[in-house]
Amino acid sequence: MAQTRRDFLKMTAALSAASFVGVQLPLQEQQLAHAKDAEAWHRGTCRLCGVGCRLELGMKDGVPFALRGVADARTNYGFLCMKGMHFWQCLGHKERLKKPLYRAKKSDPFKEISWDKALDIAASQFADAVKKNGPNSVAYYGSGQCLTEETYLFQKIMRGGLQTNNVDGNPRLCMASAVGGYLGSFGADEPIGSYADLEKAHCFFIIGSNTAEAHPVLFRRIMRRKLDNPEVKVINADPRVSQTSRIADKHLQFKPGTDLSLLNAMANVIIEEKLHDQAFLTNYVAFKQGKEGQDASFEEYAKFVAPYTPEAAAKTCGGKITAEDIRQVARWFATSKGTMSLWCMGINQRKQGVWANNLIHNLHILTGQLLKEGADSFSLTGQPNACGGVREAGGLCHILPGHRPVEKEKMRNQVEEAWGVPLGRIPAEPGMHTMSMFTGINEGKIKAIWINCTSPAQSLPNCNLYNKGLATDDCFTICTDIFKTRTTEFANLILPAAFHFEKTGVYGCTERRQQLTRKAVKAPGEAKPEVWIAREWAKRLAAKLNDPVIAQCIKPFEGLEEDFALPQAIWDEYTQKLTKGRDNDLRGVSYAVLARMADGVQWPAPTEEFALTGGTAKKFVKGIDPMADSESKNDLPYQFYGPAHEDRKLWIWLRPQADPSEIPDAEYPFYLSTGRIIDHWHTMSMTGRIPELLRANPHAFVEINPKDAEKLGIKPGDMIEITSRRGTNVLPAKVYEGPIEGTVFAYWHDQEANRMINKVTKDDYDPSAKEPEFKICAVKIKRISGPKPLTPFIVS
Amino acid sequence: MPISGVVITTRPEDLDQTQRFLAACVGVEVHGADDQGNIVAVFDTRTTGEMEHLLKTVNACPLVLHAGITYLNMEDVVDDEGLNSGTFR
Repeated sequence: MAQTRRDFLKMTAALSAASFVGVQLPLQEQQLAHAKDAEAWHRGTCRLCGVGCRLELGMKDGVPFALRGVADARTNYGFLCMKGMHFWQCLGHKERLKKPLYRAKKSDPFKEISWDKALDIAASQFADAVKKNGPNSVAYYGSGQCLTEETYLFQKIMRGGLQTNNVDGNPRLCMASAVGGYLGSFGADEPIGSYADLEKAHCFFIIGSNTAEAHPVLFRRIMRRKLDNPEVKVINADPRVSQTSRIADKHLQFKPGTDLSLLNAMANVIIEEKLHDQAFLTNYVAFKQGKEGQDASFEEYAKFVAPYTPEAAAKTCGGKITAEDIRQVARWFATSKGTMSLWCMGINQRKQGVWANNLIHNLHILTGQLLKEGADSFSLTGQPNACGGVREAGGLCHILPGHRPVEKEKMRNQVEEAWGVPLGRIPAEPGMHTMSMFTGINEGKIKAIWINCTSPAQSLPNCNLYNKGLATDDCFTICTDIFKTRTTEFANLILPAAFHFEKTGVYGCTERRQQLTRKAVKAPGEAKPEVWIAREWAKRLAAKLNDPVIAQCIKPFEGLEEDFALPQAIWDEYTQKLTKGRDNDLRGVSYAVLARMADGVQWPAPTEEFALTGGTAKKFVKGIDPMADSESKNDLPYQFYGPAHEDRKLWIWLRPQADPSEIPDAEYPFYLSTGRIIDHWHTMSMTGRIPELLRANPHAFVEINPKDAEKLGIKPGDMIEITSRRGTNVLPAKVYEGPIEGTVFAYWHDQEANRMINKVTKDDYDPSAKEPEFKICAVKIKRISGPKPLTPFIVS
Repeated sequence: MPISGVVITTRPEDLDQTQRFLAACVGVEVHGADDQGNIVAVFDTRTTGEMEHLLKTVNACPLVLHAGITYLNMEDVVDDEGLNSGTFR
């Protein structure tokens, strides 16, 4: 019987699915009448979340036509989510920015200009601002989606060239609390373990993360582990029942902001029932309290958590959790052969974000649920290169490349020497963090800002407030991006950037894994890689400011072609000169090694020989982590050489329950929480332009508990007005047994003016991490009409 | 003709019921399953919009723990209509 192409495709699809799970089908691949296409597949990573899925871009006749997973990939075993399957459509999209656009005043229309002119204007504006108002009147605001080479080069020019630490990025909005938590508890940023622990864990504690939607491919691994081993326990702690809750043995639904009590109560149960690991505490642990980290003792810690009885915590948490629930999950956590905690924005985007991170780490340190197979305190990352680029390569205002704190002179001098710039060139004070940067624009302190690959006009909390400053002509605004966004609406100069697979560079995902994606496609029109843009801009800056030190910053990169040699030289400088001896030692991870290692390399990887083994799956463990051996100070198997704890101990912190910045009252009686939906990425400038993804969720909506809906006369699909002290949205209602009673939940991707939920969210932030409390604010809600048809909106 | 290969995962004890649910979904062909709760299926729809809708429907089924796409072919896609009409939801 003749085989149609449709039959062929169906068989291919079925075999692909079957091969991923080992199901035998009565079909064999060799029996298929292959309709060979002139196809080529290019290896790379996904760019739409922090998991780091390995994938391949399919090309037919020189044009991208598909993305596919790769069955042996260590991160995703071939699975991709729908965002990952579809983002190739951004490569040749008709709405891509193709030429530099300029307007002197923000009320003027944009005009196309040449790159020469655009770079000249960008350099003049920054140079003039520096001359008139000093170096701190300019700023760079980057992204966890920039390649490491891009982040590194921009911050080098800003710090070493323009002498300002006003370098920050959107990971401040999502990961800064995790950074603070890791440094405070472990003395070193980023997780100790790896995804490989997922298949070894016996208990999962998932708190403040809807993994099923935000990290669907990792969720699949967790789910598989649970289904294959029913004795594995899954605890899901969240104010909202989500798809993630479906696999939970126990869902702890608490009132927003009360989880610090819950975590302290779990610690209390563990101590009361003597489930802690005394030997681990004796060998590796110190206790700390207060702002300055004064010493405390185990006894003081036990006394501190004693008032957090399960009964008291259950009451604080809002009555849907019983004291016995808390006892049970504490026992599961402490006594399993390996417990892995996973969390994301529900913990990080909080006024007490660092403390919440510390309290999760406390449980792991207390029980010794660390450093062994299947045990880790593992913060999930939202963006593909928040770790590799921004956290590690100097993309935050207080951290220099190689996890070096700005305020330490020795650290600054190391960087200055590596760059060949005069000692003292990098300012001693950290620069403006994200919220102070945009406050600085409102106050007229920032005269020129470069916003790279992100859309703060939509993604900042209380965005109406900050958009006022961006809208004025007081701050010259440059945006580099691939599409127009809510932020390009406030730009003077829009520079068209190359997209993923249109340029070469490295992403470092959640588990310290560095992966190279090489250019496979020509960028459309005149779009350029950011490394080229930054170098050419710096060349002009040096001339306009007549400053040879700026020229020195780009001297090693002069004349290199931008598609490979330039990013390679930047990567080499960063890894060879600035990670030596640091906890993220990447000296063994050259482009040549990354080309050979399909799954990339996990740091630390000080030598090429070690990098070619795949790197370090578990930090601090002798025999696994080469730095644990080279930095060893005693005979113990674990060596905590992280830069932030001179005593080389893990620290348990005495941190109390503390309320969120805003709690409901008579006028604003509901909590509002926000989050990501599976089909859309951040502000949907990419996914909103992919019809399949836009269709799946063309607009945001608000979830409301059926009991609250009944009280307010709200039916499914009704239009609801959500108002906070800062702004209002009008959204359709989804009446759903999801959010806990008294809480509504909205998605934050929608660009439409009345549906941008960050007009409503609160901009108060963690005093230490400076990460805003997106996740909790007080609102009032009102039904304003029945269902109405809504039109999707994308800035054009 | 969008065609996708999908692994749908359910609890082993829900396997039969889930397969019955999938059999009732237009555009879903079940090709095999194992005793761990993995069901291998092919989704075949007229438009990409229908493909997304189908995936959403399957994911929304309380029996389904996860539906993961492993393969997606989108050649000869029929144009979807009414994307901007606001009426398709």
